Amino acid sequence: MKQTPDYDRVQERMKPGVITHFGFLGSDDRKLIDIILDDEITVRKLGLTHKKIADRLQYFYDKAEHAPGSWVVVDDSFSVFVDDTRGYLPCPFEHPGLFPKVNVTVVNRKTDEKITYSVLSIHLIREHGFYQGKGSPFRLEPRDIKRILEL
Amino acid sequence: MGVPINPFVLMFAAVFTSNMVLSNFLGMCSFISVSKELKTANGLGLAVTFVMTITSVLNYIVYYYILVPLGLEYLIYIVFIIVIAAFVQLLEMIIDRISPALYINLGIFLPLITVNCAILGGALFLIIRNYSLIQSLTFGFGSGIGWWLAIVALAAIRQRLRENDIPVALRGSGITLIIIGIMALAFIGFSGVLRVQ
Amino acid sequence: MSALIVTLLSLSGITTLLAVLLVLADRIINNYGEVEVNINEGKKKLKVKGGSPLLFILAENKIFVPSACGGRGSCGMCKVKVLSDVGPILPTEEPYLSPDEKKEGVRLSCQVKAKKDISIELPEWLFAVSKFKAVVERITELTYDIRELRLRLLDPLSIEFKAGQYVQLIIPPYDQVKESVMRAYSISSPPSQKDAIELIIRKVPGGIATTYIFEHMKEGEEIEFVGPFGEFYLRPTSARVIAIAGGSGMAPIKSIIMDMYEKGIEREIYFFFGARSKADLFYLDFYDELQKKYPYLHFIPALSDPKPEDEWEGEVGLVTDVAEKYLKSLPPSDQEGYLCGSPGMINACVKLLTRYGISEDRIYYDKFA
Repeated sequence: MKQTPDYDRVQERMKPGVITHFGFLGSDDRKLIDIILDDEITVRKLGLTHKKIADRLQYFYDKAEHAPGSWVVVDDSFSVFVDDTRGYLPCPFEHPGLFPKVNVTVVNRKTDEKITYSVLSIHLIREHGFYQGKGSPFRLEPRDIKRILEL
Repeated sequence: MGVPINPFVLMFAAVFTSNMVLSNFLGMCSFISVSKELKTANGLGLAVTFVMTITSVLNYIVYYYILVPLGLEYLIYIVFIIVIAAFVQLLEMIIDRISPALYINLGIFLPLITVNCAILGGALFLIIRNYSLIQSLTFGFGSGIGWWLAIVALAAIRQRLRENDIPVALRGSGITLIIIGIMALAFIGFSGVLRVQ
Repeated sequence: MSALIVTLLSLSGITTLLAVLLVLADRIINNYGEVEVNINEGKKKLKVKGGSPLLFILAENKIFVPSACGGRGSCGMCKVKVLSDVGPILPTEEPYLSPDEKKEGVRLSCQVKAKKDISIELPEWLFAVSKFKAVVERITELTYDIRELRLRLLDPLSIEFKAGQYVQLIIPPYDQVKESVMRAYSISSPPSQKDAIELIIRKVPGGIATTYIFEHMKEGEEIEFVGPFGEFYLRPTSARVIAIAGGSGMAPIKSIIMDMYEKGIEREIYFFFGARSKADLFYLDFYDELQKKYPYLHFIPALSDPKPEDEWEGEVGLVTDVAEKYLKSLPPSDQEGYLCGSPGMINACVKLLTRYGISEDRIYYDKFA
C-alpha cells in the first residue's frame, strides 16, 4: 500500500541509529503502514483492541514500578521485573513528551514464557497501533501478548 | 493567433467549467494528500495558483519567443518542466522566508509542485488552444484559483468528516475519492456553459 | 547537424539563464544581513550572520545549549526561552513543548532561525560550558554491565565543575549510526581533579551511545565532550545528606562525597546504594576505605535479590525500604535528599523522603539524567 509522506518521515526516524541503536523495524522491509495494518487485523481476529493490550501492559508496569531492579509477583501467576536506565526516548511518530528508558519483563509462572516491552512500546501500541517490525528486539506479537499475559 | 474568447470569460471557465482537477483530473496526487488540513490546503492552493499564473506567462514567452523562432517546438515538454522547476525553487525560497511554518507543513509537496501535472497541463493547454498572452495569464490564474477552490473545499469537507463515523474500510483515501467523485459530478453541471477553445 | 547544435545551445542557454536567476534570487532572498542575538537582556550580545538555527549560532560562539540529537529536532533538549517574536511554533517543535513552556516562549533552539534581531534568555551556568577534546585513558569494567571511563583532557587542558554535574559525550558515527549523537553522563571524579574526568556508564540495551562505548570504544582513542551541565550539586547548608542511588547513579554522588571529604565538610552523609545481587555492586572497597578516613560518611549498599553464593551480610530489600528503616531510627535533624537513578526510582524516593519531612524543594536530582 502506498503511504503518505508523514509515514515516510516516521519510518525514517524508526531506522537504526536515529532514536535507538537497533531502530524499530528490525529486518522488516514492509512499509510502516503495512506493518500497522497487518497487526491491526491480527489484533481484531484475536478479539482485542490496541487499548486493551496497552492497558494490560501498563497494568504490569504500574504494579512493579515501585521496585525497579527486583522481581515482583503480580496476581500470583506473574513475575514482573522492571529494569530502568537513566535517560529518555522520544516517540518516532513525533508525539509530545519523552518516554523513560524502562524495560518491563513479565513472566507467566504457569508456562514460564516471558515477554519484554518498554514504556515507549505501551505508547506505540496505545496511540499508534504499532507493535514494531519483525526482527526488532522489541517486536511484540499480539498473539504472544494474549497468550502470555492471559488477556 | 488566439481564439475569440474574452480573457475574463476564460478565467471563469478555468475556475468552474473546465476546472483543472475536477474536470480534467490533473494534479490529483497532492490534491488528495494535502487536503487533510484546511490551513495547509489553503497554503498549497495559493502556492499552486501563484506558480500556475506566473509559469503560464513565462512558458508562453519561452514558447513563442524562443522555441518557435528556433524551430524547437518539440522541446516544449522539457523546457516547460525546467521553467516550472526553476520557478518552484524560487517560490520555495520565498515561502521559507515569509512563513517557515507553512514551509514545513507543505513539506515535500512544495518541491512536488514542479511535477504537479495541473501546472504542466495548464501550460500545454494554452499552447494547444492557441491562447494569446493575456488569455494565457487569465487562464493560468483561473486554473490556479480553480485548483485552490477545489482543494480548499475538499479539505473543509474532510475536516468536517473527521469526527464522523466512517466505515473502517473507507477511512482515508477511500472516502476521499468518493468525495472527489461527488464534487466532480457537481462541477459537471457547469460544463458546456462557457467555451474554452 | 546544425539543428542538433541549435537544440543543445538553446537548451543549455535557457537552463543557464534560469540557474543564474536562481543564484541571484538566493543572494537576495536568503540574505538576512547581520543580526544581533541579545542574551539575558544585554549581558552578552552576538553579532552574527542571519539565517541559521539559533543552536548553531550559539555553538559557534562557544555557548553550548545541551542537545542529544545534534540539531535534528528529535530530542527536544535544546530548549531556550525566546523573548522577541520569531514567528509561530513550528510543527517540528510542537511535540516537545508543554503548554506552560509555550506560554513562556520556550522554543527549540535547533528549529528557530535567527532571521532578525532576537533576544533570548539562558541560564547562567550555560556560559561556563565549553567543548573539550580528551583521550580515553582507561576503561574499567566495574560490573558485567557497568563501565568506568577515564578521560584525560587534551584541549583545553583543565575543567572546572561542581561535584554532581554532568557532561555530554559526543559519540561519533559508527555502523548504522549515520550522524554523531550526544548523551549525558555524570562525572564521578571530584572537582579537585582538573586534568581528567571519570564517568560511570551502564549499558542500555539497544542504546546508541552505550553500544558504542561497550563495543567500539578503545583505550587511547580521542573523544569530544561538552560540559559541565546541570544543577545537581551539593547545597551549602549544614543539613544531613540523604543520598540514594542505583546503578550508574553512583557517579554524581561519588563525586559529591569525595568533594566533601577533600574539603573536610562536617555533615552527616547517608548514602544508600541499591543493586540486585553482589554482581551489580562496585566500589565496596573504595567506600570501606573512605569511611575509615571520613567518619561522617555512612555507605549502605542494599541488595534486593541476593544470590546464595553472594554470602551477603549487609542490608537486603529494596533500596527505598532499607532507606526507610534508617530514616525511622535516625535522630531528627534537618535533612536534604540527593537522588540519582532512573525516573521510577526517583519517583519512589521522592515519595519516601517527603513522607519523612523533607520538602520537595530540598530533594535534588537531575531532571533528564
